[in-house]
Amino acid sequence: MLRILIAALALVCMLGSARAEIGPPIRFGLTSVVVQENLRFLDRWAEHLSAKIGRPVEFVRRRSYREITDLLESGGLEFAWICGYPFIQKRDPEFLTLLAVPVYRGEPLYHSFIIVHRDSPHSKLEDLRGGVFSFSDPESNSGFLYPQSVLAAQGETPESFFRQTFFTFNHAETIEAVAEQVADGGAVDSYIWEYLRTYRPELTEKTRVIMRSPKFGFPPLVSRLGVDASIVSRMKTALAEMESDPEGQKFLDGLKLDRFGDFSPSLFDNIRRMADETRQSLPWLASKTKNKKY
Amino acid sequence: MKLSFLRSWGLSFKFALAITTIVAGVAFTIGAVIVVQDRQRFNQDLEERVLLLARSVAVTAPEAILRNDSWFLYQSLKKMAGQEPGGLQHTRVITAMILSPEGHVLAHLKPKGHPLGLRLKAPDGEEAALLEAAKSAHSAKVQEGSGVGAKGFLEAVIPLFSDEKFLGVVRVRVSTYEVYLQVQRSALLVIGLTLGLVILGSLLGALISRRMVKPLTAMTSGLQAVRRGELTNIAPVPVQDNDELGELAAAFNKMAVELAEKKMLEEQMAVSEKLVALGRITAGVAHEVNNPLAGLLNCIDTLKKHPDDKELMERYLPLLDNGLHRIKDIVKSLLVELRVEDTREMSDGSCLDDLREIVEAEINGRNIQLVWDNHLDDQVQVYKGQIQQIVLNLLKNALEVLPDGGTVTFKSSNNRGSVMLEVDDDGPGIPTEHRNHLFDPFFTTKPNGTGLGLWIVYRLVESMRGVIEVESRPGHGTQFLVTLPTTNLGA
Repeated sequence: MLRILIAALALVCMLGSARAEIGPPIRFGLTSVVVQENLRFLDRWAEHLSAKIGRPVEFVRRRSYREITDLLESGGLEFAWICGYPFIQKRDPEFLTLLAVPVYRGEPLYHSFIIVHRDSPHSKLEDLRGGVFSFSDPESNSGFLYPQSVLAAQGETPESFFRQTFFTFNHAETIEAVAEQVADGGAVDSYIWEYLRTYRPELTEKTRVIMRSPKFGFPPLVSRLGVDASIVSRMKTALAEMESDPEGQKFLDGLKLDRFGDFSPSLFDNIRRMADETRQSLPWLASKTKNKKY
Repeated sequence: MKLSFLRSWGLSFKFALAITTIVAGVAFTIGAVIVVQDRQRFNQDLEERVLLLARSVAVTAPEAILRNDSWFLYQSLKKMAGQEPGGLQHTRVITAMILSPEGHVLAHLKPKGHPLGLRLKAPDGEEAALLEAAKSAHSAKVQEGSGVGAKGFLEAVIPLFSDEKFLGVVRVRVSTYEVYLQVQRSALLVIGLTLGLVILGSLLGALISRRMVKPLTAMTSGLQAVRRGELTNIAPVPVQDNDELGELAAAFNKMAVELAEKKMLEEQMAVSEKLVALGRITAGVAHEVNNPLAGLLNCIDTLKKHPDDKELMERYLPLLDNGLHRIKDIVKSLLVELRVEDTREMSDGSCLDDLREIVEAEINGRNIQLVWDNHLDDQVQVYKGQIQQIVLNLLKNALEVLPDGGTVTFKSSNNRGSVMLEVDDDGPGIPTEHRNHLFDPFFTTKPNGTGLGLWIVYRLVESMRGVIEVESRPGHGTQFLVTLPTTNLGA
């Protein structure tokens, strides 16, 4: 009798507390393509997604893009929000598939910004020759590949062009490095720069954009191949429905995004092209690529 | 002595000053020691803290240097500078940097003006020296800037090694301004306390010294009154405490009372003595005038009865004349007028020799030896009348008491601005009971004496501001010594 009572109580408790979020958590990797400092916001978003999917969702943060892709490869993550550059890299066997692409200001596209300090006399990339330059992440399209490709087109490498370079592994910190004049210039994600212009205007105010890249596919959300198809489709739906859901809309507003959309991987073709061209112009990179596993 | 002026200041002031000085000295010394110790402690505290801050950077720096991760190095500096370590005061990091062994900037807390990868610019002499000292540091150390106040700083230097390879150096500089302010605050507190204690000490000193000095001041004014002779006018000193001063005050009061009593007694005695003297003078005058008057009246009676007796007239007239002259002489002597014109005649000292004959005539064949030793010559000018009168009276006096076979000696000398006149006899001397009345008018021991001789001498000597001394031993003679200042003589 007592046993039954306890079991019933336990069941009620479980139902009450966990509701539908039963089972191992779904791990969602985040990179610095989004601003991760707003912890409470992300926690609430994770709760929102959990409720929609019926499984606990947790965001997993790592310092670099590479760590996130490595976690995806090793099965440590089910989903991740990565950059277009890692997405287009060849993987053998392929373990990623496109989940959704954020729509930002009407299109799933963004730029790379080359920024300098507000008081800097420089107005073009060439002015930064011999200076200190801050990249965001070695696997970032806007924060590294794009400026590298621009230099490669001139037959230069970052090492030959700049006196010194460093990676901050974070777009926001690149903006900081420029704002605080640690670096003379930096390459950042236009979305992050605009985002911070709203949330930390005192930081972006100290910087000035001197160069805008062509439009690239917005850093995509991907899923690991082999993740339960129902979970993938539930996640896809949950993301897509955020636009129509008042609560989801709040998160979209917070992220400064229009919606999460379904787009073809060809959206990232120009990044792939740029990566290839850069490799071609740098023979040692080209040869290295051939030996690469993927 | 530089401090000799202190001697003229009041005891109460000196006492208060001494207490104040001691209090101020003690307070200031203790305060100064506390301030110095405080400064040392604050500085040590700050040194430990700046080393701790530098260490927090130095722990992770070598790996980042090897990775060439300038951003990480910069951020570690920034995080370190943003730390608010607990403690007495906030440690303000002025600047911090990580330099390569060659002095290139690997990271700088103030990137503007200190670009990455370039050699650090050390503008002035001190900065250059500090930079060199930092580059050559073999172990963690703290160096101090020479600036004071807001410009003061401490700099922790920690060399970075990885597997014994020198990778660079971390420098963290904190402001010592807080320490300075803290020390300033305690110094102000000490000065304030010292001032407070000085005021308190001077008040206390003034209070104590007032209490102590008040009876002394009262006693001093009392003693001054004694000196002026106002013995009955001494205000009693209030006795406050039962200490030494209180005892002194009580003793003084007792003495004042006794003095006043004595003075009153003396005054009473003086009054009665005056009355006695007055009585004696009256009696003397009555006696001296009565004696001849009786004879004179007899003569006149007789002459009245025998108006035609010429023989009687011839016999009595000189008697009448004589008696009236005696009365006149007595009255004249009583009214010795020293400023009479004819007595101001000046003469040299040899005028005294004129007296010798008179004295010898006075001896008139008696067996008395006169020794004459006048050393006054024509170099000295004296009032002839007065000085002759003095010497003659003294000599006559001596002759009257001398028995046969006695010797009377006159000596005179001119001695350092004064004239000395000495009359000695080896007669019977003056009985003790007579000495106090020696110069009283009409005091005489001789049946026929007027008692005016020595009184006249005394009045004359006094009028010339001289001194008369008497030395007498019964059975061994008497010596009168008159000293007259020649300045006044010649005036």
